[in-house]
Amino acid sequence: MEEARPLLKKGYRSGKRNNKLQSLDIILLVILTSFAAAIILPFINVVATSFATQQEYLKTTLLLIPSTVTFENYKAFFADGRIWIGFRTTLLILGLGLPINMFLTTSMAYGLSRPDFPFKRFLVYFVAVTMLFNGGIIPLYLLMKQLHLINTIWSVVLVYGVNSFYLIIMMNYFTTLPISLMESAKLDGAGEWRILFKIILPLSMPIIATIILFYAVDRWNEWFNAMIFIRRGDLVPLQLALRSIVIDSQISAQMNVSNVQTEQFSQGMKMAAVIVTMLPVMFVFPFLQRHFVKGMLIGAIKA
Amino acid sequence: MENIIAEKKKASLIEKNQASLIRRIWKSRESYQLMLPGIVWYVIFAYIPMYGLFLAFKTYKANLGIFGSPWVGFVNYDYVFRDPAFMESVWRTLWINAGRILFEFPLPIILALMLNELRLGRYKKVIQTIYTFPHFLSWIIVSIVMINSLDTQGIVNGIIKMLGGHEVNFLGSAKIFQPLLYVTDNWKSSGWSMIIFLAAIAGIETEQYESAQLDGATRMQTMWYITLPGIKSTIVVMLILTVGNLMTAGFDQIFNLSNAATAKAGEILDMYIYRVTFQSAADFSFSSAVSLFRAVINLALLLFADRVCKWLGSEGLFPSAKKSVRT
Repeated sequence: MEEARPLLKKGYRSGKRNNKLQSLDIILLVILTSFAAAIILPFINVVATSFATQQEYLKTTLLLIPSTVTFENYKAFFADGRIWIGFRTTLLILGLGLPINMFLTTSMAYGLSRPDFPFKRFLVYFVAVTMLFNGGIIPLYLLMKQLHLINTIWSVVLVYGVNSFYLIIMMNYFTTLPISLMESAKLDGAGEWRILFKIILPLSMPIIATIILFYAVDRWNEWFNAMIFIRRGDLVPLQLALRSIVIDSQISAQMNVSNVQTEQFSQGMKMAAVIVTMLPVMFVFPFLQRHFVKGMLIGAIKA
Repeated sequence: MENIIAEKKKASLIEKNQASLIRRIWKSRESYQLMLPGIVWYVIFAYIPMYGLFLAFKTYKANLGIFGSPWVGFVNYDYVFRDPAFMESVWRTLWINAGRILFEFPLPIILALMLNELRLGRYKKVIQTIYTFPHFLSWIIVSIVMINSLDTQGIVNGIIKMLGGHEVNFLGSAKIFQPLLYVTDNWKSSGWSMIIFLAAIAGIETEQYESAQLDGATRMQTMWYITLPGIKSTIVVMLILTVGNLMTAGFDQIFNLSNAATAKAGEILDMYIYRVTFQSAADFSFSSAVSLFRAVINLALLLFADRVCKWLGSEGLFPSAKKSVRT
């Protein structure tokens, strides 16, 4: 009987069924590949447009490879000052925000992952409730006004301090670590903060890296809060700079408003702007990809 | 006599419990210390704004702040419900979201099931990478990419013309706007949502598949009888969360994709709130009233969906949350 099993499996794999299954494989392959193509083609189109001349863009609607490659679009785009302000602001938000995000999230996640302390359940709900219910933008705006943070970079930095979802992913990861480690460190006289920094963090590098990258991408994409809280021209984040260069001029073009900027920015330059804004995320993404399936597995399903 | 003794015992027990609670709190003071910065952040930036929703029942006076402004009862709601644009935006939001559940919710599940069945391991990873990438871009970038592709000069119209069709004005038509929302959102996020279902599929025990194989089940059968039931609880949780957001319909997407021609078709509740708060003469009490209305309906729908799922025999949203608390 013991030997019958592998035999049966072998027969299953090389038997008549295999052919039938292959047709299913081909159907799947075609469907999945065409969806992938539908995602990639617009990007290729954007890249091609950014390297093409305005004349070529206007001539062909199926632009995938420009016949003559030009860097004029990028040059002209960088000559415009707005994008530099955008870069500066976004890097400032990242530099100030990311450490705050990570400090608040790890310390709280580790605290919550400690076994049995009074009010533990209350505190987990205290965090989880914010995922289901929030005050919305108006009270937040008024709060910022009362804290005198309007029109400062701190409004954007502080308003996104902890992401409850990431916190719960992290907390679930910490609970999978063996408790004996922390107990023995405690016997050696280490406090919780030391345990967190010296023992827990080195052991949790995969999840830490994932959450850092999540926060970094979120910060890079930050625009809504900045649009609401900051009305100063010299503190426009990258995404809003991009928006004002591309979408606003698109709208005025559609409405036939005579606008200097519309004439100034060809489609190629707009797409160059998109590429430049997108590039860092594209570089970070492969590192993200490696970890997040694991992270989701640990965090999302349990939560 | 016995009663008195029992009562005394009880009292001393309670005292002991109280003492031990304090002792336990003192013992875990370091845990609280760890959480303190986070708790402070939550109180200031999450819970005070929740209190701020009480502005719905106050008249906002800038010099008095949220806490000091005087109460006025339901006066603001009187104004809210008299604004025809408000009810219109409510119905439009619900209508758009009903479509989202129909046209956006199933796709990640289908993609996950298909990708799970695909046998080419390395290609699978490539595909997964491609699918999830757009999720990490902001709606501003995605909108620009979409506007570029769907423009009359864009690549989609190029393909249509190549196949002998007529040029379609995807972006400037109020009729196409709603399908446009579904297509672009699927384009951006279905791959990311797929990951959650793939993770759930990975959690199914392999023994189940092995025994099904031994019983001679076809792949369609294993998919239908093992994979799908295996991720049922995940599907239910995701559905509850979706239903709990019926009153929120993707501000970022609509704000960046709509233009003068499609503005009316995209006037959802979030856009309405944004407009009355920041574009016309700002009346914070009025928009708070709208916000509170939305938040309460969302929460009620969430709890309702959770109840329905439990009633249908599923785990629902909260028992799993409790479980993770206990561990």
